[in-house]
Amino acid sequence: MFAVCMDSREERLSDHTTFEELVLPHLDAAYNLARWLARNPHDAEDVVQDACIRALKYAGSLHGNDARGWFLTVVRNAFYDWLGRNRPAELVHEDDEVIATRIDPSSPDPQHEALRRADLHALADAIEALPLQYREVLVLRELEEMSYKEIARIADIPIGTVMSRLARARGLLQRSPVLQEMHGHTLGASDEVH
Amino acid sequence: MKCTDASILLSAYTDGETSMLQGHSVKRHLQQCGNCAATYEQMLALRARIRAEAPRHSTPPELRARVLATLDAVRASTPAPVRPRAANERWRWLSGGVLAGCAATVLAWVVGTAVIDWRANEDLAVEAVNMHVRATLGNQLIQVASSDRHTVKPWLSARLDYSPPVRDFAQDGFALIGGRIDYLDRHPVATLVYRVRNHTIDVYVRPEMARAPPSALRTVRGFNVAHATGSGMDWLAVSDVNPDELTEFVRKLAREAGAP
Repeated sequence: MFAVCMDSREERLSDHTTFEELVLPHLDAAYNLARWLARNPHDAEDVVQDACIRALKYAGSLHGNDARGWFLTVVRNAFYDWLGRNRPAELVHEDDEVIATRIDPSSPDPQHEALRRADLHALADAIEALPLQYREVLVLRELEEMSYKEIARIADIPIGTVMSRLARARGLLQRSPVLQEMHGHTLGASDEVH
Repeated sequence: MKCTDASILLSAYTDGETSMLQGHSVKRHLQQCGNCAATYEQMLALRARIRAEAPRHSTPPELRARVLATLDAVRASTPAPVRPRAANERWRWLSGGVLAGCAATVLAWVVGTAVIDWRANEDLAVEAVNMHVRATLGNQLIQVASSDRHTVKPWLSARLDYSPPVRDFAQDGFALIGGRIDYLDRHPVATLVYRVRNHTIDVYVRPEMARAPPSALRTVRGFNVAHATGSGMDWLAVSDVNPDELTEFVRKLAREAGAP
């Protein structure tokens, strides 16, 4: 922190160039991630603005070719800080096993009923209803098309966790009513693999 | 392999993220087990639906303008340390002057790109990415907007000393949206612009060069660069779409774009 404050003007100017050349081109990726995490455009804009300020400040620490991954990490951190300030209730950091039990179809817990609700009309609604930890890996994988290794670095989790969260996210989506029309009665079979 | 093991790996298998050994076992299991094969099919269908129905959101223009204005404000500010709150307030009072900020930023960008050009010529892939970025940021992605090869091809040919093959691959998900002329490696080059799931792909097409082509695939500043030769041309694709798909697409272009 101290080092940042004591930067000379010249060094900061070069950081601005780094930001403009390396980070700004990935603004769409940043907004897309923030939009899916925050689930509405207004909050997503706040998150991206905050992320840009941070990225400007720390652009000097960006090395190598992973500008997109670096920026998305900054966006994700900005989002979690925003969440802590604005919707702390959603910030409960949960164990994957706990989430899995809570959203188990046989579990009566109403809190994650969202995913099984019949009024989900679009696949996008079903994705928004996914628990945050699953939603972020799914968006990074399917919409940002990043590798497990890159996702692991951004979400700060082991690659094995990326793999299991993605598998669960997909399992949940396939059970959602939106997908039923697609699978018809074969749906039950897909849930229980023996 | 048992179904329980397969079910854990299936999702990674659809992502091409299993080891070669795991991939082989999954493949063999899918041939033997109808249940898992059905699950696999559903996963592929789910991916197709996510990509078709869940939008990759684009930055609202007002947000982009605000970010650019902030960059300017911060750049113009005194050497005093930049605190997030101060910058936030600046955003608010600057929102009235966003237009002026934009104009200044465009100017800064033009000057900035001259520097990029000078520095990047050492490497074709870096240069290609710079061009892609510049076109995207400067809203100059497309000079001739059309999905019709009979419009794009003559437009490009009239401005070049060669005639690049042009083809729409919308049926494969890669829709041709237009073209432009760029300068790559100190020569005018045809750029074909494709769109796939809200990602942009720039493809630079030029007559095949005698010297060694760039390596097949690289990542520069978070963008993937894939290269192929075919139909007498060099094809260089730049995008943030995933590397496997980009490589496959550029090879397909090199192979099929020249076909009648």
